Amino acid sequence: MKSRIKEYLIELCCVYTLVSVAGALVNMLAGTETNNWNVIVMFLTCAIATFVLFLHGLFDNVSPLVMIIVQYLVACGLCAVLLLIIGAIYEPVSPRGWFEYYRSFTIPYIILAAFYYYRVFSEAKKQDALIREIQEQSKK
Amino acid sequence: MKLNLYEEKDSNNERVDLYYSKMRPAVRRIIDTVNSDRPTLSGRPADEDLDDGEEIILDPGEIYYLDHIDRKLFAYTGNGVFRIMNTLNACEEMLWNYGFVRVSKSNLINIYKIRQLKPDINMKVYASFDNGERICINRSYKKSFNDYLKKMRGII
Repeated sequence: MKSRIKEYLIELCCVYTLVSVAGALVNMLAGTETNNWNVIVMFLTCAIATFVLFLHGLFDNVSPLVMIIVQYLVACGLCAVLLLIIGAIYEPVSPRGWFEYYRSFTIPYIILAAFYYYRVFSEAKKQDALIREIQEQSKK
Repeated sequence: MKLNLYEEKDSNNERVDLYYSKMRPAVRRIIDTVNSDRPTLSGRPADEDLDDGEEIILDPGEIYYLDHIDRKLFAYTGNGVFRIMNTLNACEEMLWNYGFVRVSKSNLINIYKIRQLKPDINMKVYASFDNGERICINRSYKKSFNDYLKKMRGII
């Protein structure tokens, strides 16, 4: 359990670093600024997303497509709880805020899922070619 | 591989000299045969009672895959399904050189019998065999499966 938590924290550190650097670059290019609450929300979102993706081992017996959809829905649910808590502590999130939040969460998720989909197919193709090669060589 | 056979009727010293460039699975299989270490699996037809069925020696090259169901191990061949009195782990170790690789908790497949490896629309990757059956390659075993293929290509 300890090692799993350690692994999770290391992954969270990597994910948060990448997301915050990407966010800083976008802010520099767009000329926008962020505030402390945004940074905290970004970190908590990374924590939720990393946690949900970290559960992939539980989905070994289901298809990757089902896994991607279930993980997305669980992450959406947890993020909604996060926004509601922040809304109660700080100030209620406007409908536009909800929309922007889910958009910025969904777009990278779809891109990464598509990339994963592509990887599954290309890897299977490579493995199939490898098997053909092994079968041919063994006949010689 | 070139095969030379010499008949010496008066000789009582039978021998095999093997010249090889690399210790690959095909060479290992010949060594196993000469040393009488060639693995054979004995099984009984799965549809018969264990005590009644006649035991049949199965050649690993004839087996498509091994399936572990309800603590029983079955070998699927072109001639039918046979129950093997062995464990999946032992078979995995024994048949490594014969193209058998673990693809899930309960399946060991023979890569020489795979007709096609193809993912479904739901992203599950299946190995299809000549007998029309399919076995899913579990995600947890994807890396070890890939490593095995690369190792086999490197040493064949």
